[in-house]
Amino acid sequence: MKTLAKKDLIKAMNIWAQKHDVLSPTKTAPGDCIFDTFREKTFTLDYKKPPLSPKAVFFPHSEVTFKVEKNEYREIVSAKKMLIFGLRACDMMGILQASSFMSRDRKDVYYNAKRNAATTIVMACPGPQNETCFCTTTRSGPVAQKGFDLQFYDVGDAFLIEIGTSRGEELLSAIPLADVDESQARRQIEEFKQKAIRSIPEVKSFIKAMNKLKDGKADEKIWDSFGQKCITCGGCAFVCPTCTCFNVYDHQSSPGNGLRARTWDACLYGGFTREASGHNPRASQALRLKRRHEHKLLHFNEIDIQGSLCGCVGCGRCSDYCPVHIGTLEVVKAIAE
Amino acid sequence: MRRTRTVCPFCGCGCSFYLLSEGDRVTGIEPSPLNPVNKGMLCVKGWNAHEFIHSPERLTTPLIRKHGSLVESTWDEALKVVADRFLDIKKQFGSRALAFLSSAKVTNEENYLFMKMARAAFGTNNVDHCARL
Amino acid sequence: MVGLAATFGSGAMTNSINDFDGADLFLVIGSNTTSQHPLIGSRIINAVKRGAKLLLIDPREIQLAEFADLHLRHDIGTDVAVLNGIMNVIIEEGLDDKEFVETRTEGFDQLKDVVSKYPPRVVEKISGINSHDLKKAALMYAKADKAMLVYAMGITQHTTGVDNVKTCANLAMLTGHLGRPSTGVNPLRGQNNVQGACDMGALPNVYSGYQPVTDLAVKKKFEDAWGVAALNDKVGLTIIDMMIAAQKGGLKALYVMGENPLMSDPDTSHIEHALSNLDFLVVQDIFLSETAAKADVVLPAASFAEKEGTYTNTERRVQISGKAISSPGLARPDWQIICELSTLAGYPMNYKSPVDIMKDINAVTPSYAGITYERLERGYGLQWPCINEDHPGTPYLHKDKFSKGKGTFIPCEFKPVVEMPDEEYDFMLTTGRIYYQYHTGTMTRRTSILDREAPAALVEINPEDAKKLGIKNNEIVELTSRRGSIKLKAEITKRVPQNVVFSTFHFHESPVNILTSPAYDPIAKIPEYKGCAVKVRRCA
Repeated sequence: MKTLAKKDLIKAMNIWAQKHDVLSPTKTAPGDCIFDTFREKTFTLDYKKPPLSPKAVFFPHSEVTFKVEKNEYREIVSAKKMLIFGLRACDMMGILQASSFMSRDRKDVYYNAKRNAATTIVMACPGPQNETCFCTTTRSGPVAQKGFDLQFYDVGDAFLIEIGTSRGEELLSAIPLADVDESQARRQIEEFKQKAIRSIPEVKSFIKAMNKLKDGKADEKIWDSFGQKCITCGGCAFVCPTCTCFNVYDHQSSPGNGLRARTWDACLYGGFTREASGHNPRASQALRLKRRHEHKLLHFNEIDIQGSLCGCVGCGRCSDYCPVHIGTLEVVKAIAE
Repeated sequence: MRRTRTVCPFCGCGCSFYLLSEGDRVTGIEPSPLNPVNKGMLCVKGWNAHEFIHSPERLTTPLIRKHGSLVESTWDEALKVVADRFLDIKKQFGSRALAFLSSAKVTNEENYLFMKMARAAFGTNNVDHCARL
Repeated sequence: MVGLAATFGSGAMTNSINDFDGADLFLVIGSNTTSQHPLIGSRIINAVKRGAKLLLIDPREIQLAEFADLHLRHDIGTDVAVLNGIMNVIIEEGLDDKEFVETRTEGFDQLKDVVSKYPPRVVEKISGINSHDLKKAALMYAKADKAMLVYAMGITQHTTGVDNVKTCANLAMLTGHLGRPSTGVNPLRGQNNVQGACDMGALPNVYSGYQPVTDLAVKKKFEDAWGVAALNDKVGLTIIDMMIAAQKGGLKALYVMGENPLMSDPDTSHIEHALSNLDFLVVQDIFLSETAAKADVVLPAASFAEKEGTYTNTERRVQISGKAISSPGLARPDWQIICELSTLAGYPMNYKSPVDIMKDINAVTPSYAGITYERLERGYGLQWPCINEDHPGTPYLHKDKFSKGKGTFIPCEFKPVVEMPDEEYDFMLTTGRIYYQYHTGTMTRRTSILDREAPAALVEINPEDAKKLGIKNNEIVELTSRRGSIKLKAEITKRVPQNVVFSTFHFHESPVNILTSPAYDPIAKIPEYKGCAVKVRRCA
């Protein structure tokens, strides 16, 4: 197995950046950790999960899908050669789930073009990034099982490198590496993994909630109390690595000229299901919240979940960024009680 | 892809987010996770504050009213008309015949310059904005 | 702002947004917080869930009502009476903070005289709030350790707006809920840089930092700083006065930057007449707004995404905003347009960037002296006053003394809404914003999801009233005031009390400001958007 000395990481990143747009953990001037285009000065290894998951790379928040210029139609299927460095296992599972959905019965060309042009390097999680991490419960971390091109294990002054694909292997050809004994490396990885798993507590209420939903035994009243306080921001869907709903709009700039674009949508918005007559089958915020969580925990597609537990990857973002604490963790706790 | 820190253009909370952009197209919004005001969260307007920027109805050229309708013009012509007319009216009726309505949507620097222009260049304190509305 | 400045010496929100997390009680009056300041509204909800108390005073059953320990639904425009009644009870029960009143304030005797005229049974007659609830509210607020009083346009947009604000301030001083974390009087600002526009002196009576134009020393200071021989030392016209002067013919030219008075100002036909009476109208905006369509010259401006600059939020936090993309076509940032125009008008401005302009602001504005780009870039903003580059900023005001020394009680008598319903115009119309739309809709109506969520104006009508008038949900109704009439869909809801209807000013198809009253507060010149008389009729 190969290792990369930590001191050589920047050198490797710079080499990769010659042929890719590299997206990596970045510490901004005020101190936010987000993923941005790699710059040596702002690159950091001391980072937490940012608000947006990598789905924003393949499925941008707002994206032009075609343009019409002088009545000529032109589809915009853009794909830059990207490298995402440092994503976590939960987000890798998010990519697998979203990619499955976006290509299972109908290929979404815009999504797939970008996905196929992207290389992923997962940074295995040594432990929970904060108190909302629960990937061990959803079987989506802390170490990625599949999907990655490379997976890095931080073992002190070097990274052990697990190769996932030939595309990953190619990345290694140009950078300074060292060899390490295979069985010793395997042992180190196993130790790393066990330690990480032990440090991320299992959320028992999650399993209990799934079972109660399955048996139709969840207390309906909880949705009313969540519905009462939801401020309908849509943020839970936007930060979710597996949410893929979008709205389509057209901009006509003059007769014969214009564009079509799509933008993230959320099932928490009333207009999402409102019919032309004005009738809304999900008439209240309570019903919309119920539908959202049932979709993640009960009505997921077996193929799409890619061997994990359900349509939630345990990243905890919806709990981190809900203004009124209606994340998946809060919801499963309420269902389980 | 680029991320630029901005302030939400809507209410007075002052939530901060990064605009994601590709060339000259805004492609998304990521709330600032550590900003003490919004801590990585936004409301429905903030999350959707990217679309109107690219509206085909954006004004893209100066317009001057000629024979009753607004027609496209150049910056040189438009600014000269404005400066000349304001100076003319000032000369004829005094600076109290001029007024300047500033904006609760533009930056501090722009509000400062606007009131400075009203006061220093045109000699009037007839400056206000819509705080009252 | 004028009201708080008179009592405390400073017109801004006294405390900070993070303070909401530590308060024991919120008195929310005239603010639909979850809808208009959602990220502050959510903090109130979270605080209630952890055990804080919520006292809501609002005629409408807004989302926060679900969380209120006590919700007083007073009649529109009776805020002064209700708050005076609360103070009456507090003094009667001996719950006033005597030490605070003694050491930090002046004018208590006058306050006591005035509020003595508002015992609960009198207030009940005026406002419809029963004595029992009023007493309960008084005890809740007075007994809380850390109480934050929160208000917005529901307080200010009345002919008695300044009185309403002063009365809020009186209540906070009387109980000592001031000058500490998680207390204070907290007006929530409606637009992302209202605070900044005020701070920067986009007002007829002050330069930046609230330095009066009539003060000769201030005048001299700005003459020196700006290199001008003689600045005007007479207070200028407010927007309301501008419109009156335009209509009368005294005002000839108006320059509007990023505003849409034709939609946002009350009594639209009056504004339309005023604007058409001008010799010359310039509008600088990002869209061809209703006002811009009337202009002689329209200048295309950059949106927030296309320029660098700073904005000051409701808690006095100055924050930096960067340039993400370039402007479409020939559009330019407002500051560049101003520089060029001023230069053409014979007063050269040679700023290279907003950073340069901020250096000027630092030099002439004491409260902004320490707010530099260098510091802003490295952090999450600075709250003024920030008097030098080592100053950390000010999370809450009036710690040991008020900006003006002692806080002054300025008691106010109750005055009703100017245009009360009568036999012909038998409903009270009150107006505001809804969650999905914003102001005159120029931005939100061009956002597909927001416009989908709220595609048209609605008028909220109480079910009892709807029954009487034979109006069903979603039917078109006509609202008529003495100034005009509009048609829009009815939403039958208990959110509004009987004899009151509510609508919004976001939709040019149903411009509610055709109806609103031109009456305004005599001091602050804020129009009475929150109350006028209308009649409601079902359209055949």
